[in-house]
Amino acid sequence: MIPAQFDYVRATSAEHALQLLGEHGDDAKLLAGGHSLLPMMKLRLAMPSVLIDIAGLPDLSGVRRDGDDVVIGALTKHGELAASEILEREAPLVAHAAGLVGDPQIRHRGTIGGSLAHADPAADLPSALLASDGWLELQGPEGTRRVAVDDFFTGYFETVLQPDELVVAIGTPRRMGAGWGYEKFTRRANDWGIVTVATVGGRVALGNMGPTSLRARATEQALARGASIPDAAELAAEGTEPVTDLHADGEYRSHLARVLTRRALTRAAG
Amino acid sequence: MEGTTRSVGTSALRVEDTRILSGTGRYADDVKLFGGLHVAFVRSPMPHARILSIDTSAALDVDGVVAVYTGSDFAERTHGISPKLGPPSYRHEPILALAVDKVRHVGDPVAMVIATSRYIAEDGAELVDVDYEQLKAVANIDQALDPARPVIFESIGSNQLFEMTHTAGDVDAGFAAADVIVRETFSQHRVAQVPMEGRGGTAEFAAGNLTYHATSQSPHTLRAYVAESLGLDLEAVRVVNTDIGGAFGLKINTHREDLAVCAAAYWLSRPVKWIEDRNEHLLSSGQAREARMELEAAVRQDGTILALRGDLVIDQGAYVGAPSPGGGHAGLVANLMPGPYAIGGFELHARVIASNKCTFNAYRAPWAIETWSRERMLDVIARELDLDPADVRRRNFAPNDGSAEMFSGLTLLGNSCAESLERALEESDYKALRESQAAARAEGRCVGIGFATYIEAAPGPKNTRAGGRPMHEAAIARLEADGQLSIFTSQAPHGQGHETTLAQVAADEFGVPMESVRVHHGDTANTPWALVGTGGSRAATMATGAVLHSSRQLKAKVLEVAAEILEASPADLRITSGVIHPVGVPSVQLSLADVAAQAYLGTDEEIDESENVLEVEAAYDGGLGGWASGTHLCAVEIDLQTGRVDFDSYLVVEDCGRMINPAIVEGQVRGGVAQGVGEVLYEWSAYDDEANYLAASFMDYLLPTASEIPPIQIVHLENEPNEEVFFRGVGEGGLLVAPAAITNAIEDALAPYGARIRHQYLPPAAVLELAGVIPQD
Repeated sequence: MIPAQFDYVRATSAEHALQLLGEHGDDAKLLAGGHSLLPMMKLRLAMPSVLIDIAGLPDLSGVRRDGDDVVIGALTKHGELAASEILEREAPLVAHAAGLVGDPQIRHRGTIGGSLAHADPAADLPSALLASDGWLELQGPEGTRRVAVDDFFTGYFETVLQPDELVVAIGTPRRMGAGWGYEKFTRRANDWGIVTVATVGGRVALGNMGPTSLRARATEQALARGASIPDAAELAAEGTEPVTDLHADGEYRSHLARVLTRRALTRAAG
Repeated sequence: MEGTTRSVGTSALRVEDTRILSGTGRYADDVKLFGGLHVAFVRSPMPHARILSIDTSAALDVDGVVAVYTGSDFAERTHGISPKLGPPSYRHEPILALAVDKVRHVGDPVAMVIATSRYIAEDGAELVDVDYEQLKAVANIDQALDPARPVIFESIGSNQLFEMTHTAGDVDAGFAAADVIVRETFSQHRVAQVPMEGRGGTAEFAAGNLTYHATSQSPHTLRAYVAESLGLDLEAVRVVNTDIGGAFGLKINTHREDLAVCAAAYWLSRPVKWIEDRNEHLLSSGQAREARMELEAAVRQDGTILALRGDLVIDQGAYVGAPSPGGGHAGLVANLMPGPYAIGGFELHARVIASNKCTFNAYRAPWAIETWSRERMLDVIARELDLDPADVRRRNFAPNDGSAEMFSGLTLLGNSCAESLERALEESDYKALRESQAAARAEGRCVGIGFATYIEAAPGPKNTRAGGRPMHEAAIARLEADGQLSIFTSQAPHGQGHETTLAQVAADEFGVPMESVRVHHGDTANTPWALVGTGGSRAATMATGAVLHSSRQLKAKVLEVAAEILEASPADLRITSGVIHPVGVPSVQLSLADVAAQAYLGTDEEIDESENVLEVEAAYDGGLGGWASGTHLCAVEIDLQTGRVDFDSYLVVEDCGRMINPAIVEGQVRGGVAQGVGEVLYEWSAYDDEANYLAASFMDYLLPTASEIPPIQIVHLENEPNEEVFFRGVGEGGLLVAPAAITNAIEDALAPYGARIRHQYLPPAAVLELAGVIPQD
């Protein structure tokens, strides 16, 4: 559990980070909190030749209001999200989900941008932001572009983020007083969810029910048609292909998706 | 015992804790020797394959790589080692450090890269190119028993390594007289010990002597194996234990990597160090428990068990453990299976098989399949006959007056199972629990109550120990020149607090404060020989008895010297708080330092030369011995939507005789229960049907954390058999019985759904399958 050899460069600005990414291309990895990347490097599942440290970049951290949205700097740590008064009032689903990531040590190192760019379908924040109808701001050599979370994840640990791009901000609509629900079933207190369900404003997102965080579309459509919560929740696993691993098989995950969707929707309605 | 100190029975603070909790302990990785080299092992990615070639040239080209060894180096230059415990008919191939010609499990070491740093060693290991020809694997018991599968060890010619049949009492008569015959199969999954500190060590060879700084429960055995493997005189090898960060049985056996590290240091004449990382630990340190027991009980309508038949298969994995082979406890299962119950006849057919998995090592109560399957069967019988499980146990308990004997001829001396069961039922208000269960069920909740009872041979009656269990244990007591007392024990403590408990015992016996006693352990150069070291819950009786006797004899010597000085009779002298004085004459005083000074340095011609040596080695054979025993009772509630199991309560009633240190006893009990919770609900060293290993990280091998462990209430019974050593072991009982209590509670909760628990591992999905909420796999 010792990483292969790599070089380390500390970026002094987002532009510097992008320049370094341009120089090193696919061989480089951005280092922020390091809580997903470093374990993979120690197992030699990831062997980047250069780490570009962006953890200290100014202006990429913090939570602020911007018109109808709450905007979160990509380097904002999970613990800061969980403690943010703005999020607690205006996007409580995101604050709540961030408070459930790993354990306190992880929440004090891991960043929201890192979590989304890593694109683990079992992680908390991707589903929370998917349900929230959030977006990401990506900065590349040609400038910045905005991508809806709906369009961001493309596969298992895969996103539309290009090798020369950097996640700089994440946004979510302000939803004062909207009902929301988040259900996470874990085997142990600090684990990744076996299945997670996030819901707000009639959108329902599932975690760990496929290669990416994904929408429970059949449930959403049923709700839009006026179906009862139990009836809508019964459709939660439709169209999904959850994996079988040591902790749960696909059948159990589908069952959990239905149970947790019902619980999340009930909570959101309450 | 005399003197004013009465340390035994108090929760004296652990002597070890100051150093361990302040970070000044010295663990295997803290040994840093000048010029030391580091090892990385190349391990097999395949369960079963022929090694066609190994190309080490690229690794050797790496700057800083000093040597690369492969199996052929060990085949040519070392001797294989063999188990020392277990039956002689147990078939095995002597074990070499690295795989030769074939790999037999994922993680099997094929090459060792030695470099000036671990970083370089790992880079070198990446470059070792091994060409394999994959063979069909043997992944489980059924595959091992299938003659169509390949043989893992060609020289053995079969994947069945051991077979025995044990019969006691009249089994056929029991079955002929039965009202009902209850059959069930109980299987137990593979789990791992997972101590906080993994394996590892640093070996150095200098001036003709090899010293191994190790983390071993059995340093003397490790020493003997290293000497044997390298063809060195025993006297040329010394094992020195560091502080040990846990072991749970894993570190009883000598590991192949130990042999590899020592060989490399010997060959290179340079210090060589290897510390396993967690990935390596989960993959290749070994596992435990995997076994299957088919049981058949001949029962009367009132729950009386007339006879029992068992068919046991233990999955050893590939390489045999040494000194303790994986299935070596089959005989122990045969002896212990009836437990505290008076069953009329018992027959056990036991087999041990090899599979393409990592070595089966001891884990806290390695014979536990016996208690789990028996206590499960008692609940199954209760359910089949519509009896209360407490009544079935009451019906079958052997009398507790010391008269009862098990089939094996073992007395049940010291067991207080009947008492502990009644106490557990009373303490938890069993009747009220059942009433609230009925009320909860009426509300649609899923609540269960389970309990189970055990006996633990710690040390067991005298004749248990003849059956392959090492007998006596020795200790050395020495009065140092400054009047302090040193104790040298063969125990290799790794969390049990022996520096504390043995000091408590010696202090009381000698008549000095505990602070005046220092307990030394772990160095084969100054501790008495012992095959096991710390294991088998031996310390409380065996090590304590040895310390008691050596301290007592030393005290007699000290008093003789004092008598010369004081011109008194030794019989008239007492030691109180470290001061010697004649009975009734407190004004006349002599310190232990004065006596030591006279003995070691003095010129008093009155003192006999032979008395100058204030050191005594004495052994203890366990005396009449006796059982540790107890009952666990827990209540669970299950979320039938998710399969989550929560504990409402967990009660332990345990009896380990007189407690030396109650806080340490409770620590042992709680730790055992925590591991039992882990074993049933979280932990599984999973291999797939092709013997690929699936649980090589803590994301896949789930250890319970503090959040998953319920509060544990402990009640102590302190039955003391009529013996001079009143203490019995407490290391294994907690984990021995916890899985039975927990699975019985879960089955009880799921009884309305007709659930029958046959496999011990119950993750949430399995719970829902048992409840019929989701379809069975």
